[in-house]
Amino acid sequence: MTELASESTAQRDTLSITVTVNGHAYTADCEPRVTLADFLRHTCGLTGTHLGCEHGVCGACTVLVDGRSARACLTLAVQADGATITTVEGLATGNTLNPLQEAFWDNHGLQCGFCTPGMLMTATELLADNPDPDAAEVRECLSGNLCRCTGYDSIVRSVLDAARRMRG
Amino acid sequence: MKPPAVRYARAGDVREAVALLAEHGSDAKVLAGGQSLVPLMSFRLARPSILVDINRIGGLDRIEQDNGSLLIGAMARQRDVELSDVAAAAVPLLPQALRYVGHVTIRNRGTVGGSLAHADPAAELPAVVTALGGDLVLEGPGGTRSVAAEDFFTGTFTTVMAPDEVLVGVRLPRLPDRTGVAVEELARRHGDFAVVGVVAAVHLAADGTVDLVRLAASGVDSVPVRLHAAEAALSGARPTADVLEAAAATVDASIHPTDDVHAPASYRRHVARLLVQRALGAAVERSGAER
Amino acid sequence: MTIVEPDRTTYTGTRVRRTEDPRLLAGRGQYVDDVTVPKMIEAAVLRSPLAHARITGIDVSRARELPGVFDVITGRDLAAVAGEQPVIWFPIPDQRIARTHALAVDRVRWVGQAVAAVVAVNRYVAEDALELIEVDYEPLPVVADLDAALAPDAPKLYDDWPDNVSGSLTYTAGDAEAAFAEADVVVRERFTHGRAFGCPLEPRGCIVEWDDFAGTVDVHLSTQSPNLARDLLSEVLGVPVHKIRVRTPNLGGGFGNKFDFYGEEVIAAVLSRRTGRPVKLIEDRLDSFVATSHSRDQRLDFEMALRNDGTILGLRGISYGVLGGALGTVGAGPPWASVLTCMGPYKIPNLDVTVKAVVTNRSPYGSYRGWGVPKGNIVHERLIEIAARELGMDRAAIRRKNFPAPEEFPFFSGVAFTYDSGDYAACLDLAMTKVDELGWRNRQTAARAEGRSLGIGYSFHVEPSAYGPSRILNLVGLAHSGFDEVTVRMDSIGKVTVYSGQINMGQGTHTIYAQLAADGLGIPMEDVVVVTGDTDSCPYTGYGTGGSRAAPLGGAAILRATERLQAKILRVAAELLEASPDDLQIEKGVISVKGTTSRSVTTRDVGDAAYRRLLNKMPESEMPTLEEVDVFDPPNMATSYGCTALLVEVDRGTGAVTLLDCLQAHDCGTVINPMLVDGQLAGGLAQALGGALLEELVYDEEGQLRTASFMDYLLPTAMEIPPFHFFHQETPAPDIPGGIKGVGEAGTIAGVSLVASAVDDALSDLGVTVTRFPITPPRLLDLIQAARTPTGQAHTEEDAR
Repeated sequence: MTELASESTAQRDTLSITVTVNGHAYTADCEPRVTLADFLRHTCGLTGTHLGCEHGVCGACTVLVDGRSARACLTLAVQADGATITTVEGLATGNTLNPLQEAFWDNHGLQCGFCTPGMLMTATELLADNPDPDAAEVRECLSGNLCRCTGYDSIVRSVLDAARRMRG
Repeated sequence: MKPPAVRYARAGDVREAVALLAEHGSDAKVLAGGQSLVPLMSFRLARPSILVDINRIGGLDRIEQDNGSLLIGAMARQRDVELSDVAAAAVPLLPQALRYVGHVTIRNRGTVGGSLAHADPAAELPAVVTALGGDLVLEGPGGTRSVAAEDFFTGTFTTVMAPDEVLVGVRLPRLPDRTGVAVEELARRHGDFAVVGVVAAVHLAADGTVDLVRLAASGVDSVPVRLHAAEAALSGARPTADVLEAAAATVDASIHPTDDVHAPASYRRHVARLLVQRALGAAVERSGAER
Repeated sequence: MTIVEPDRTTYTGTRVRRTEDPRLLAGRGQYVDDVTVPKMIEAAVLRSPLAHARITGIDVSRARELPGVFDVITGRDLAAVAGEQPVIWFPIPDQRIARTHALAVDRVRWVGQAVAAVVAVNRYVAEDALELIEVDYEPLPVVADLDAALAPDAPKLYDDWPDNVSGSLTYTAGDAEAAFAEADVVVRERFTHGRAFGCPLEPRGCIVEWDDFAGTVDVHLSTQSPNLARDLLSEVLGVPVHKIRVRTPNLGGGFGNKFDFYGEEVIAAVLSRRTGRPVKLIEDRLDSFVATSHSRDQRLDFEMALRNDGTILGLRGISYGVLGGALGTVGAGPPWASVLTCMGPYKIPNLDVTVKAVVTNRSPYGSYRGWGVPKGNIVHERLIEIAARELGMDRAAIRRKNFPAPEEFPFFSGVAFTYDSGDYAACLDLAMTKVDELGWRNRQTAARAEGRSLGIGYSFHVEPSAYGPSRILNLVGLAHSGFDEVTVRMDSIGKVTVYSGQINMGQGTHTIYAQLAADGLGIPMEDVVVVTGDTDSCPYTGYGTGGSRAAPLGGAAILRATERLQAKILRVAAELLEASPDDLQIEKGVISVKGTTSRSVTTRDVGDAAYRRLLNKMPESEMPTLEEVDVFDPPNMATSYGCTALLVEVDRGTGAVTLLDCLQAHDCGTVINPMLVDGQLAGGLAQALGGALLEELVYDEEGQLRTASFMDYLLPTAMEIPPFHFFHQETPAPDIPGGIKGVGEAGTIAGVSLVASAVDDALSDLGVTVTRFPITPPRLLDLIQAARTPTGQAHTEEDAR
């Protein structure tokens, strides 16, 4: 999707939708087939949401829709009309990482960083629901997010460390 | 992996959804949670001309007890049912089975109706509804009808639903207190569709004999299979190890597995029998427990 | 060779947090699909649905007419302006090299081979247009697997070849025949490893802008080897190297898959030239399963000869590389490397080992972390355990008996590698001690009492790393080099930039280079930035980022360059302090006379003197500026090694294997950053464990790929991978300044035979021997049932999968 989309003269049904992402409202005309992931990446310019499989298995595109985690590749943008969305870009405050991000940094919870946004969003939901998870619960929760670099152990430790920090 | 062009309509109520389906016939697809339909479109294996979005229809997400039944609206999110006290009290097999469905993120959006209508023979929810003899409630141009689970699934990804019908909910009989339930599954990874799955519910009478047993398997046929012969072998008997083994021995004749890339049919047969034995054993062990 | 060591090591050896991380954590990374170039349009590739067929016609007219489409090309269009895909490894003399164009011209030889490409306003429209292209195929007989390829009357992939064998090469040492004749015991086995691939979570991609007026090609490419890509683009496109710029944005994993050079970058270049627009071509996940290099697909028929006391006398066998329908960038390299490493850490005086490379109608074979060595590891680790059982020996004792002693290094393995240093027995002992400390044996005993089957497995591995020396690589058939070049520059305010030809794909290269440069110069790490991934500004690395080269070779070059740069800094500071350079010390960027604190200058003062206000500050004898270049070409490779242990549980009813705990004792010489080393070990192990149990690219008899999605190609999740524990020895590499050895591939090498060892142990009462990978539940259940049935009849006849 480029800014040249208007060069297409194909006439297709489009909808005007409004989605609030990380506090900003984005209104755009949107083809029904456009996934929320592509809407975020191309229309909103938020490329932190990554596409690793586009069929709902890898979890790299996980975002929060109205506070609950969702695969942005399995959600059509038109379905998110009116929704409030948080992406990885919404986690830090200014240039200050949040405790979860800090814990990933301290525990080598990322290598290439491609799965990381999805891991962070999934863990964000987990820690909101369960502030004191054990390692087995963290593993089960993260099992919908594939990582090819870390072997997961450091991610599990990162999330447990973040939980400790957030409990204070 | 971008979906093909499609039109989109947001139904305000079930009647409107049915009308849209009636207008477009089999070219139209109902869009619920989208967790199966959207990837099929991204693979370009599904190419509906129009999506009828039922997400904004009010009241389709209810989870409530009613006259000894649990009523679940088609748009109830799987995660909500998993965490529902109402569902857990009435049909404890349901939350237990739901934990095997994909992952939390998938269950957040995935719906009970979507899973049932998609009719994947390896999926957990169809197996639960089949085991418990649930009824699926369909609404079409001619009104509402109710279909028993064993009549609903007709093959891999196919059901008795007409192109202009919408699945609006499912009604499950409440399990008696102190029913033991178990889910046994052999999946290649956590969260994957089962190579073979078994769901079981067992209730014991005061004399220790089985007075209720519900058993179904997934991944062993083109539809989820209610294991009637195994149920019969257990019903009225004391659930000794021999009886459980005898019950499991009937499974082979009840199932029709096929080969796929993850396991040959012969393996599925072997594992189905084993998992039935394990599931019944676990359900018996848990029966009688307070909940 | 003198070992260059910084005077003080403030950062080396410490768990420094990665400099790469904050922006990646904030979602500010820039992976290739995140890059947008003005006026960019997007392409998609049409792929063959058949494994072997002639193309009798292609009609692209309907696709061209679709609104939003800019261009459609076929193989003929591409071949008119671009050469065939290059191959850089020729280890087998007189090997027949099967090359193809980036788009098939008249024949397809694997499912997924590219046959046409579309470029349009966006990817959605490009994919719409692909559906409008009509290709007529005339099916040809399919060579679906190794047996089909080697059958006497097999259909041929290449009509002018006598058969489907690309080449064969035998290495011998001593007299294997005599050794086997005099042996007390011979154990032999056929090992089979299914197809798998590195599968980085970020699919490959590129953006190419070919300016036909300037004659330049500007490329953003998800590659581990920007210099190699530039050289190969030049060869294929006929554009001079200096007119090609290759930039690598963030890489979402590489694992060798992004070392190779692919047709997509050529397709995008041709489309860009024809349309006059920058063209983005991103491989989507479906593409990735057929278009990214496959690997691991090998059959290994090997036998080991031993004395009754466990001494290994000889090893012989054949490694069959099941290659695809054309050779990938590295040709038959990985199966060849299996043969080079099949003796592993053991002294085996008599060898007769052969690699045979065979073409089939499957996707091309290429690089994947470990590069053949994991299969070499299967040969020596499986056979030595089978021999131990045969001889009634302890599996640790038999290993220990055959290790070279520390004083025997450098140790020539008998075929190609000379292991530089190590204490293998100590490493084995370390692992076994930790197994006891973690209580695995007690867990095993307790579980057995409950009727559960727990097993403890071991794998000892060697990892030849720091691929060089260049001339040796050339000698064994590589059309490329193995040195590494860096530039270290201190600027006018005394801050430092390190420029390297290596790239950063998640392993933390920027962090460790900053650690080494800061220590080498005596400055704060915050004063160092590392720049990689742009052929216009960064120096040349031979090979690329692969072969566990970045830390030892790039690190050595940094240490050598910073040593010289530090000397120059001190000479300039000496002028400023009116002292002798020999009397100066530098610490945290402050230069002072040793033993005093009164007078000092900072690198800022030195930078100013060297770049701006030279008068009376910069010695007349010195060239202005502060910059050193170093090129390091190692005299020998550096061989890391380790002993890995694994605790598993086997469900005898289903054949399912659960991984409970894992540890590794490891020696990679000088550890620059223990946190990152552990990360490399864990990540590699996870890939191997996935390969051992889950991941397989399954082809059917029609050559159709049956596992072409993440629903069927099963990457392990956090639920399948166990916790890890790592323990380090440090035996410095004698031939590498700084003593650093590579670590990137350790886990992948160790982890497959490891699972087999643990499963065998869990089922030791049955006498099961795992020989086929991945160990799927049906396959293991077959072994269990065959072991229980004296006739050897398996319950199921799961095969050919």
